[in-house]
Amino acid sequence: MLAKIILNVALMLTVALTVSVPSTGARAEFVIEHAQGRTVLTKRPEKVLVLDINTLDIADALGAQPAGVLGSNLPPWLRKYADPRYARMGTLFEPDLEAINAAGADLAIVGVRSRGKLKDVAALVPAVDLSFDQDRIVESVKANIAKVGAIFGKEAEAARLVADLDSRVTALRARATGAGTALILVTNGGKVGAYGPTSRIGWLHRELGFKTVESKIDDRFHGGDVVSFEYILEKNPDWIFVIDRDAAVGTASRGGSAAAVLDNELVRQTSAAKLGKIVYLDPSAAYIAPGGYTALTILIAQIQAALDRK
Amino acid sequence: MRTLLLAIVAMLALACVSLLVGVTHMPIWALLSGHDDGHAARILAISRIPRTMALILAGASMAIAGLIMQMMIRNRFAEPTTSGTVEAASLGLLTVTIMAPDLPVMGKMLVAAAFALAGTLLFVRLLRLVPLRDPLMVPLLGIMLGGVIHAVATFIAYRFDLLQSLLAWTMGDFSGVLRGRYELLWVGGLLAAVAWIAADRFTVAGLGRDFTTNLGLNYKRVLALGLVIVSMVTSAVVVTVGMIPFLGLIVPNVVSLTVGDNMRRAVPWVAVLGAIFVLSCDILGRIIREPYEIPLGTVVGVVGSAMFLWLVLRKRSHAA
Repeated sequence: MLAKIILNVALMLTVALTVSVPSTGARAEFVIEHAQGRTVLTKRPEKVLVLDINTLDIADALGAQPAGVLGSNLPPWLRKYADPRYARMGTLFEPDLEAINAAGADLAIVGVRSRGKLKDVAALVPAVDLSFDQDRIVESVKANIAKVGAIFGKEAEAARLVADLDSRVTALRARATGAGTALILVTNGGKVGAYGPTSRIGWLHRELGFKTVESKIDDRFHGGDVVSFEYILEKNPDWIFVIDRDAAVGTASRGGSAAAVLDNELVRQTSAAKLGKIVYLDPSAAYIAPGGYTALTILIAQIQAALDRK
Repeated sequence: MRTLLLAIVAMLALACVSLLVGVTHMPIWALLSGHDDGHAARILAISRIPRTMALILAGASMAIAGLIMQMMIRNRFAEPTTSGTVEAASLGLLTVTIMAPDLPVMGKMLVAAAFALAGTLLFVRLLRLVPLRDPLMVPLLGIMLGGVIHAVATFIAYRFDLLQSLLAWTMGDFSGVLRGRYELLWVGGLLAAVAWIAADRFTVAGLGRDFTTNLGLNYKRVLALGLVIVSMVTSAVVVTVGMIPFLGLIVPNVVSLTVGDNMRRAVPWVAVLGAIFVLSCDILGRIIREPYEIPLGTVVGVVGSAMFLWLVLRKRSHAA
């Protein structure tokens, strides 16, 4: 019953947020509010190009059929899009403008990594920016699921995914609040950085309730705020969540995987290491597509399992 | 001699400061009075001593590499970062990362050293081809060559999604140094000692090919020894902690201003001042944003470019 109410509310929100069909006028309009403004189409798009990995994750979970996809850095659960039968529209950061121009699509979707290219893409085809908001990730992913659902005509599926994500986050939040402090580390070429509450997976702190070890972590840096192993030992967090960037971009074993970097005499002394509370997050989910539905559910399941294990 | 002793004392004092700076609480008085439960001793052995040793070794050996480079090329502005050596070393490291990622770190260093040597030899060849009317042409040419090699490396790294790793090698950073993770730098330290032993030969070679041959020395062999030392030191540092810019340029020049160009006299000065420079920059980078770090490469870059400008803008008569 409750689920059904949530579903209905979500469904109504979906329609109200993304699509407005004016009752007056002969022409129906399809309006998409997005991170860089508002795009008006005459009708629901049919051929949609997905140039953002997070959106591709969501579209895939919805069972939608994109007319073209980005073709690089695909996480394992999206690897089928590497198949040549899916038209390739560029890479993670760089939309292939030639291919986009040739595709003759109705709409293109850019995201966090390709948002700078919105203007270039919009010159060829109507385009929207579905970047997720790092300050309130879960909420903005839910909003994006609704928008992608509306774009592909999968409103019911979108409402179901939103409700599902909601219940997973709520369940996990109940466990994580009071689970103590956590430190999010990112390893890259043998070096270690710390990610804070406004990083790409800052929702561990902001929305699940893991306490931070320090409020000053600066999230402007790609590889995290540079920290030493002494820092990890001194802050001695209850939980350490690790993102292996080398593995995420497909160069694992090159430069040493995260576990090898953290397996040292200082980290071994932390209570997280002693109690087995170092969690190596799925690298693709945490680094490549942290704003996707499947990615989020993978991460939630991992953290849930770690919390249940103790 | 007395001033050199003074410099060594200053270096040791900085080394002590470096041992005391760190995020983890390390009650030094407990350690000294024997009341330590083992914690302070562990931190000292695992983290502080290795980092301080790494700084001294890297600082001293990179500065000596710069000195050798300047004698070999016979130009005050030649050093591994202004001759394509560093860029070639990181291209080598990139190549081995792609082709043989599981090679032990010593093997990676040797491959990087081979690339560094090839890059430096290319630079030496280029210098012979281009008429040099101005001493500043030499570093200019080297920086251009380095730029070309770096562009190739960037392109390959971009294709293989290794741009971040390339950045890690070009940016000196000692935050990851622990016992067991810096020992390769001893290779650099050893080679620096070899440089000291062979110092007289380098001094002679620094006077030119004809002069060297007249004195009965094999010019080519001395040149080869010098370039091998420079390449090995550079790649050991790049592999372990990443590049430290300007070091090999500034320190030998400052030393040459005070004690002259006799390498036997200059080597200990260059080593000590190199260590002092790197130690102070790293301590600064650890203190400014404590408990976070500013990578050494960034600090040296800021301090070093100011000093580099000072060197270039000084009376040009010293520059040649």
